[in-house]
Amino acid sequence: MGAWRHFPIFMITLPLLGAVLMPFLGYLRERWVPYAALLPLAASTLLGFLLVGRIPAGDHLSYHLGGWEPPFGIEIRVDHVGLFLMLVVCAITLLALVYSRRYIEKEVSPGRRTAYYVLYLLMSGAMLGFTATGDIFNLFVFMEILALSSYALVAITGNRNAVRAAFKYVLMGAPSSIMVLLAVGFLYSVTGTLNMADLASRIAESGYTEVLVVSYILFVIGFGVKAALFPLHMWLPDAHSIAPSPISALLSGLLVEVCAFALVRITFSVFTRSATDLVGGTADAVGVAAAAAVLYGGIMAITQKDLKVMIAYSTVSHIGYIFLGITAFTAEGLTGAMYHMLDHGLAKACLFLCAGNFIYLKGYRRIEELRGAWRQMPWTCFAFALASISVIGIPPTAGFISKWYLILGNIRAGKWLYTIVLLSGSILAAVYCLRIIYYMFFQAGKEEAWEDASRDVPPGMLVPVWALSLGTLFFGVFSYLLIPSLLKASAYLL
Amino acid sequence: MKRVLSLFFIAALGVLLLYVVASMPPMGDPQTPTATHVIPRYLERAEEETHTENVITGVILNYRGYDTMGEVTVIFCALAAVLAVLGRERRGRIRGFVDRSPVPSSTIVRTMVRFMVPFIILFSVYTILHGEISPGGGFQGGAIIGGSMIIFTTVFGLYESSRRIPQKVRAPLEGSAVIVFFLVGALGLVGGGNFLTYAWPHAARGLQPALVTWLTVLVEVGIGLGGAMVLISILFAMIREEEEIALTA
Amino acid sequence: MRLLHNYHYAAAMALFCIGLYTVIVRRNIIKKLIGLNIMETSVFFFYISLGYLDGGVAPIHAGSADPARMVNPIPQALILTGIVVALSVTALALSMVILLYRQYGTLDVDRLMREEEPAAEGAAGEGEGGA
Repeated sequence: MGAWRHFPIFMITLPLLGAVLMPFLGYLRERWVPYAALLPLAASTLLGFLLVGRIPAGDHLSYHLGGWEPPFGIEIRVDHVGLFLMLVVCAITLLALVYSRRYIEKEVSPGRRTAYYVLYLLMSGAMLGFTATGDIFNLFVFMEILALSSYALVAITGNRNAVRAAFKYVLMGAPSSIMVLLAVGFLYSVTGTLNMADLASRIAESGYTEVLVVSYILFVIGFGVKAALFPLHMWLPDAHSIAPSPISALLSGLLVEVCAFALVRITFSVFTRSATDLVGGTADAVGVAAAAAVLYGGIMAITQKDLKVMIAYSTVSHIGYIFLGITAFTAEGLTGAMYHMLDHGLAKACLFLCAGNFIYLKGYRRIEELRGAWRQMPWTCFAFALASISVIGIPPTAGFISKWYLILGNIRAGKWLYTIVLLSGSILAAVYCLRIIYYMFFQAGKEEAWEDASRDVPPGMLVPVWALSLGTLFFGVFSYLLIPSLLKASAYLL
Repeated sequence: MKRVLSLFFIAALGVLLLYVVASMPPMGDPQTPTATHVIPRYLERAEEETHTENVITGVILNYRGYDTMGEVTVIFCALAAVLAVLGRERRGRIRGFVDRSPVPSSTIVRTMVRFMVPFIILFSVYTILHGEISPGGGFQGGAIIGGSMIIFTTVFGLYESSRRIPQKVRAPLEGSAVIVFFLVGALGLVGGGNFLTYAWPHAARGLQPALVTWLTVLVEVGIGLGGAMVLISILFAMIREEEEIALTA
Repeated sequence: MRLLHNYHYAAAMALFCIGLYTVIVRRNIIKKLIGLNIMETSVFFFYISLGYLDGGVAPIHAGSADPARMVNPIPQALILTGIVVALSVTALALSMVILLYRQYGTLDVDRLMREEEPAAEGAAGEGEGGA
């Protein structure tokens, strides 16, 4: 047992500690805050990469906080799937934070900038803790840190539309948190434990079917709101489009995925295979909602005029993809869902940051205003195009790989209707993405719309955008690096 | 229409929940899963393992200390969120606003509040330090300090109370709970255990009870101070904005 | 009958539904927040009832308390966390209400949301004006 066992806890607590220390730095040297905020996240990322390959295949790392063995103390449980998602979280939060410095200087008033970095670090740490925890009440605690910081980050510009969108988010998010708390209470009442692994074994032998089913329904509603599953997505388009772009990238690229992953944990680590017949009916309903989400999100995205709102509706559609992968209950489907979390995270973060570039340079939010953008902002436009290709799911990109496995998983499960839905979702994505690419590259813009702009945004904002879009390409071409271990890990979860 | 739909939805949910209640284990029965699975060990061994007579404090700070660390992060997060939405008062004293926060009150009220507040704070210190042997603890004590400052501010106004607890006192203490937790956690590693291990395996066996007790008290004090300062800062941030409304209205 | 015996739980569920109704149907945003707090409190009540033991005593090893008769300390420990979370959410929501009232001059949620159109155009206009 080496020192690496302690890495996950420091991956989680270092950003939290950094967040608490930021106000001091803000008091002493405010200019240093954007740089200092990078340190804890960089440390987490480093620790995460050092963990790769340490966890034996088909096994997990279990860390007992305070030295109390699991049912008595809290356990941190990192398996391959969890570590994979933690690395995605680290990488994207780090890149969006690099991007933030310039963008925040322009959009957020000086008195609120330190608070922005504090909340940003809290949110990153909470996402890591949320992914890694093996205790169901601890899951709730980290979900609340995540929720609180994201409510505030949506409202951080302080303008009236932002505060209203954030308040709408609170009005949907807070009751959903309470539902999760109630669901945890139900589970506790019939099992007497809060540890996920212990719950899994006790659920199988407990006789309280009704309580378990309703508890699962409440989990689905609670996490469904947080993950913006179709009928519960109303807060998403407002909140994701009005938030500052790096925050939109985080909300859309990570937060909804992490919440979907929580439902994966609840479904596969807590209720497990043995209880699948318990939750099967609910899972079918989730599948229907997810299929509706794919179509609804796609159609709504086509009708939008505002770029960020369009990308937000595309997220609604892609959450449907992830849930369709989960409800297939096959290793391929789950692998597709996990890989989709990766490539959707990269591509959506990239799209939102590109949209942020247009807002930063010209203040343009509407799609028509992007006519001929290519001539002035070639780098941004090419990154946008690459990420769009991944969103559509065209071969050399990661989007293709994940959709391939999603479809394969649904075919294995015999769900032909969902296969058709997945394919038509891609066609819808092609319509809304190619429309923008058409505007950018093949339409001449008004001369005066672009003449006074400098060439493209500063490198500090271009590098994260390109890192993300090249990431989608990299994980598309070199998918064989991850897919086999993900398949194995998914089979282990099932 | 919306009202009818939501009534229908809530009625359905209510029936579902009542149905669950009807099939839950009977309340108060010593044979329910909650009473037989994890609990007996806590109740029987908490005193020797956590060195706290109050089992709840032992569970909060020791067995489930990580949850509590998340919890203090939540309050800190609430403060950061409120300040992000409302903005923080400027450094030093608050000037430039008409101070309308004090409620008109008689001499009796003012005298009593001035007289009582020190005792309330003394009581909160007792609550914090006695958390391990009697009901109470850091959060409760912090809330009592916060409550005492709310009374004081309502009667004497923001100017007076922020003069007594200025920003330069509050700001460094707001995060104290998280910092103390992190330090205690990391010290557990130094002592040869896991994160948040209070009884260090490397420490001599005879020293361990004292060690655990002192670390517990340290954490309680950190939580109490941090919680109190966060509550006071939230109060000040909210009242300041109210004054701006009063000015613009 | 189990439902009558578990009337604490039933009361908690009733409160939960009342709170949810208030959050969804009421138009005043302060009342919505009150509804939110009713929901939270109902869940706390549910948890604390879970820990109840017939004839139980407080789980404090003072004097000669018998461990077998102590009530369950876990729900109480969990709910301490829950209360703090509820407090934090309420504080944040109230500070948003303060800001909303300052900017819109109303607490009526329908009127808040109805101002969508001119406000959205205003934002777009600002964008164009800045360019």
